Order: sequence, then structure tokens, then C-alpha cells
Amino acid sequence: MRIKSALAAAAIVALAAGCGGGGGDAGSGESAKPGEPVKLNFLSLAWQKESVAANKQLVDEWNKANPTIQVTYVQGSWDNVNDQLVTSFEGGDPPDVIHDDSPALSGFASKGYLLDIKDKVPADLKSDIPQPAWDTVTFDDGKGNQGVYGVPFLQESQVIIANKKLLDAAGVRVPTSDNPWTWDEFAEVSKKLTKSGSFGVAWPMKSPVNKTLNLALNFGGTFFQTTDGKTTVKVGPEEKQVLQRIHDQLYKDKSADTSALGMGTADPLPGFFAGKYAMLPVGVYLRQQVVEQAPKGFDWVTLPPLKGTSSDQGAVSQTLSVAADSKHPEESLKFISFFLNGTNQAKLAKGDWLLPTSAKAAADPAMTTKENGWDVATASAKNLVVAPFLKVNGFDEWKSKVATPILQQYFANKISIDDAAAKLVADGNKVLERYQR
Amino acid sequence: MTATATRPPQTRRRRPSGVSRQNREMWVLMLPALVPVLLFSVGPLLYGIGLAFTDAESGRNHVTSFVGLENFGTLLADEEFWASIRIGLIWAVSVTVLQFLASLGLALLLNQKLWLRGLARVLAVVPWAMPPVVIGLMWRLVYHPDAGIVNTTFGTDINWLADFSWALPAIIVMGVWSGMPQTTIVLLAGLQGIPKELYEAGEVDGAATWRKFWSITLPQLRPVIVTITSLDFVWNVNQFTLVYVLTQGGPGGRTRLPMLFAYEEAFRYGFFGYAATMGVTIVIVVLGLLGFYLWRQMREAS
Repeated sequence: MRIKSALAAAAIVALAAGCGGGGGDAGSGESAKPGEPVKLNFLSLAWQKESVAANKQLVDEWNKANPTIQVTYVQGSWDNVNDQLVTSFEGGDPPDVIHDDSPALSGFASKGYLLDIKDKVPADLKSDIPQPAWDTVTFDDGKGNQGVYGVPFLQESQVIIANKKLLDAAGVRVPTSDNPWTWDEFAEVSKKLTKSGSFGVAWPMKSPVNKTLNLALNFGGTFFQTTDGKTTVKVGPEEKQVLQRIHDQLYKDKSADTSALGMGTADPLPGFFAGKYAMLPVGVYLRQQVVEQAPKGFDWVTLPPLKGTSSDQGAVSQTLSVAADSKHPEESLKFISFFLNGTNQAKLAKGDWLLPTSAKAAADPAMTTKENGWDVATASAKNLVVAPFLKVNGFDEWKSKVATPILQQYFANKISIDDAAAKLVADGNKVLERYQR
Repeated sequence: MTATATRPPQTRRRRPSGVSRQNREMWVLMLPALVPVLLFSVGPLLYGIGLAFTDAESGRNHVTSFVGLENFGTLLADEEFWASIRIGLIWAVSVTVLQFLASLGLALLLNQKLWLRGLARVLAVVPWAMPPVVIGLMWRLVYHPDAGIVNTTFGTDINWLADFSWALPAIIVMGVWSGMPQTTIVLLAGLQGIPKELYEAGEVDGAATWRKFWSITLPQLRPVIVTITSLDFVWNVNQFTLVYVLTQGGPGGRTRLPMLFAYEEAFRYGFFGYAATMGVTIVIVVLGLLGFYLWRQMREAS
């Protein structure tokens, strides 16, 4: 019942917006009158305190410099942004400038909700951001044309945060960005660091999918293949590498704590500070929490990404997009170009402890300092390639209905790797099928 | 009717028109009340049912077309959905039954002449006054793996809401707690409506407490019990907010109630038509179960 009333409400909203849209055209005609500033809504998903402050400060700066284009900061949340956006897109009244990430853009692009900005990005912004980053926002528009649906600005790589004292005590080689650990070396070191009551590594696997898929590229594991325009799930020897290696650490080497499996990314931190875990494979942004919460005198270090056959990692980006329904697309793009220029990206990256896509920002001294592992983090950006799952329609459903439960069961040692692989493929293809009609 | 019966026969011919005029007046008078019902209840309902027969999807590239019973066919073969219905029924039945038992106990207690009875009655209603989102957040703290009161009290080390086998029991406990006030209040009202004479007569015949409960209280409460358990069942099947806030259907779909499933289908994956089909199917399943329950209760009662 409730769902039906909700749908009906959505329909009414859509109707009302449809009527409003007619009036809105007249409205935009009005706002073209001289002296009337153009008004833009900017939906931001910044949530860390420093990052919210950086966002708001940039908006203020813009509003002062551009009295004719006034931007309103609207706070959103990662938890429900995509549900919220679907309803506002369907209602025809979305925010003009939208902060989101590339997995979400893929779906929105094919549904026609977002503006293709391929030929509209100013040249200096375009050249400041390398092509691999643009690849993370290039999608099919649902009719077979490729378009660019956002400006990528923050990326996350997987690094290893380690307890320096325990590393030194075990006398292991400290890897550098030019000479990182291989997965084999990592397994050896983890074993060395495991003693009674403490473990070499903790794998927090509450949400295992993106993490394993991004790391799987170390061995060329893509998890999806497209033949004749039809995308299917693939779990072969390349894909199994990382899965098996993590599993081995948990159950064969016993160098990883099985009780950390149910944890979210930040949950093992207390154990890490207490010396229970020597290393945490996590996203670069977790450094912020380490800095903030570590006890005084706790010595930690950021280690570069591991190397399989390569150090490639799947990357997704945080993005700023313009809604297809926006009445002021040009002004929106002007704002985005200002917001994401090199200097500002460095501020945003610093606020979120993530990697900027802008080459200028990456060269900023704040991004290359040894302090808090920024040098290692920024260097790891060169390993980022576009995550193959980005281009898969229906990935979100595959992830939540198929991959998450199966991977959780596999890491909990409840099913074998072959069963897991078979189910990922069979159940997964069933899900993908309805997106390819 | 009594008026026409006493009138002489010749006026009978005029009765139909008189009735229809009365009818007309009645409709005119009811119209202001009917309009909102039609507009906000019947309209959306019909629209929702209509959607179930289309392939409506989110996105402006999609043209919605009528697909007949195709959605229902797909749904019948959709194991995920039936798994979710199963979870929904386990949830609804156990919450309703446990809620009823706990509330009956509480109502019997609050019906006694206790010290501070007034205060206790007020306290029993507290969960009712809390918005579901607050309840959800509160229970998230209760079940928190490190700081939660459950793990601290029992010395366990379980991540209740992330554990495959514990998540469903954990949310059932919360469901029971949050729904107890209305059940307790209704049962308490029912208890107070039982005539004292019956108990006095029982005492004269030498009935023990247990016998009085079994032969007087329960039969007298029966209509109330049937009503409140049916209502509770419907409410519980349709529960959304509590579970959405607490687990969002996780881990791995172990707490994905049918309503949550339909919501995800519509607003996360964008298949509006298919989600409407689920809504219609849930209504049919609930009506079927409820009809069976009420039919049995009535047959036993008569």
C-alpha cells in the first residue's frame, strides 16, 4: 500500500513539476532581465568537517566575485543521495550542480538525467585533468552515444596504513612508491607480524565488493566482460587471485583476524592503535581518522599499494555534474570550472584526505609533503585506472543482491572459491540481463 | 422505512422517487468527505494497480508501455522476492505473536492495583511517542558492537546487525518493543471492559486465578484480541521505517522485508512498474492470510 501511495505521490510531483516546467521557461526568461542574478543550487555531499568548511568557503568566494550568478549551498548525504536524486530528476526539479560519484553517474547518464558536457568543458580544466580520470565519467547515454557526464575531482586509492614500531621490530623492508611490496611479500610480512593475540593485518569486509574489485586489477581481474554489446560476469583465474590471497591470510596463514571481517572500514582503528593489528589495507582517506584519533606518540606510516602483475587499481571519482533539467547550464559549468581549478582542488582534497585529479593540485606542496603520508598517497594516483565495473549497467543491483552476500560468505569461509565464482556468474548474469533489454 | 410502512398504500408509488431523492441528498452531503478519499486514497491506489501492468521505469529515454501480466509472471519466478516475502512473514508473525504475549502480560500487570500504577501506565506508552527514526537510531546504539548495551551486559562480542543469523532476531526484538504500547493499551481497555460480576461469580464457584484467566478473561477479550492481532499483523508486514533506519535490509538481504524490497526496486534501481507489481502482490498475500485468520476465528467463535 505504502509503496503505491509513494509512487502516486511521485507521479503527482511529476505532474506538478510538468506544469511548473511550462511556467519555469517563462521564469528563466524573466531571470534573463538585467540586474536579476541567476540562482544556482549546488548539492554537496561533503561530510567531514574540514571538507564542509572548504566547500562553503569556496561557494562564498564565488558568490562575492560573481554577483550575477549566485550559488546556494545545499547539504546532501551519501547515504540517500541517489534515492533523493531519482525523485528530484523524475520530478523535474533537480539541483543545478550535483556532487556525486562515477558509479551513480553511469546509471543517471543512461537515463538521460544529466547534461553531456563533452564539448562544454573549458580547455584549461580539460587539460588539467588526465584522460584516465575523464574515463571514469564517460558513459553511454542510453542511445549508443558516448558522453561526458561530470567533472571528476577526487579519487581514492587503496593503500596500507601500518604501525611503524611493529614494522621496525620485525625488521621488514619498508616499501617505497618506486619499489612496492608484491602480494607475496605482503603475505610474508603479515605472517612475520603475527604473534599470539595480535595479527599482521585486518581486512574490514563489511562492504567487500568495491574493495576487492578495485584490488583485483592488480592481477588483471576485471569481473566483467563485454562481447557483442552484451555484458556478462566473469570470474576466472585472474579474478580469483586477490580473493584467494585474502582468504589464505584469514584461514591458511592465519595472519589476518577473522573477527575484523564484519567491520566497516574505520572499525578496526581502536585495535590498530592498541597494536592488535599491525597493518590495515584501507582507502587513503582513512589517514584523517588515524591522525585525529591516534593516541599521542603513536607512530604510523602510509605504505604504497601492493603489486601483483601490476599495481593497477580500479578508480572511481567524486564528480560534479550538471542536471539536464538545469535552466542555467552555462552558468553551472562556469561555477564548476572555478570550483575545481587546481588551487581549489588542492583545498578540497586536503579537506577530504583524498587524491585530486588536477595535475596542478597534485603538484601543490600540501599534496606532496611527507607529513601524514601525503607523498605516498599522491604517488599512488598513477596506479589508478578506470574501474571496469563503472561501465556495467546494473552493477549496483549486482553488488547489493549478488556480490555482497556471496563475498561475505566466502570470506567467512562458508563457501568455497569455486562455488562463490559460479554463483557470482550465474546469479549475476540473471541480474544484468534485465538491464540489457 | 417504518414511516412508509404505516402510510396508506396509495403513497407507495411515490416511494422510489422519495428514496432516490433522499439518496441524492445523502450523496451531496457526503461529497465533501468523499473528494479527499477519492483523490488521495482511491486515486493513488488505482494508479498503483495500473502501474503494475506497465513497464514503467525511471529515466527520460524510456517510453512506458502496457505489458499485461508480464510483471506478475516475472515476479512468480523471482526467488529473491519470495525469499523476501518469507522474511517478511517470519518478521510479521513473530513480532505480532511476541508483541501480543508481552503486551497481554503487561496489560494484566497494569490492570492490578499496583503502587505507582499511573506512572507505570504512562511509561508503558513511551515507545509510542517516539518517531520510528529515533527508535531505529536508539536501537542501533543498543546493538553497537563496541559500545552497545547488549554486548556490554551479556559480555558477548557479536555484531548483531551485521551477523547473518542474528540480524533478523535482533530487529524482531526491536519490532516487539516499538509496537507494544498500542497493543497494551487496547488490551488494557479490553480488560477494564470485562464485568466484575463474572470474576465474583467465578470466585464464588471457587475458581483459581489461572482458571479465571482461562475461562473468563480470555473468552471475554477474544474480540479485542482478534482485532488487535490482525491490525498488528498488517502494520508489521507494512513496516518500513524501523528496518530501513536500522539495517537497510542487510546483511546480504537477511532483513530485506517486502516493503524494503519494493522501495529499492523503485527508487534505487528505478523499475517503477515492477515495484508496483510487488505492492499489489503484497496486498494480495496479506489479504489472503488475514482473511484466512479472521475466517477461522469467526468460525471458532460461532
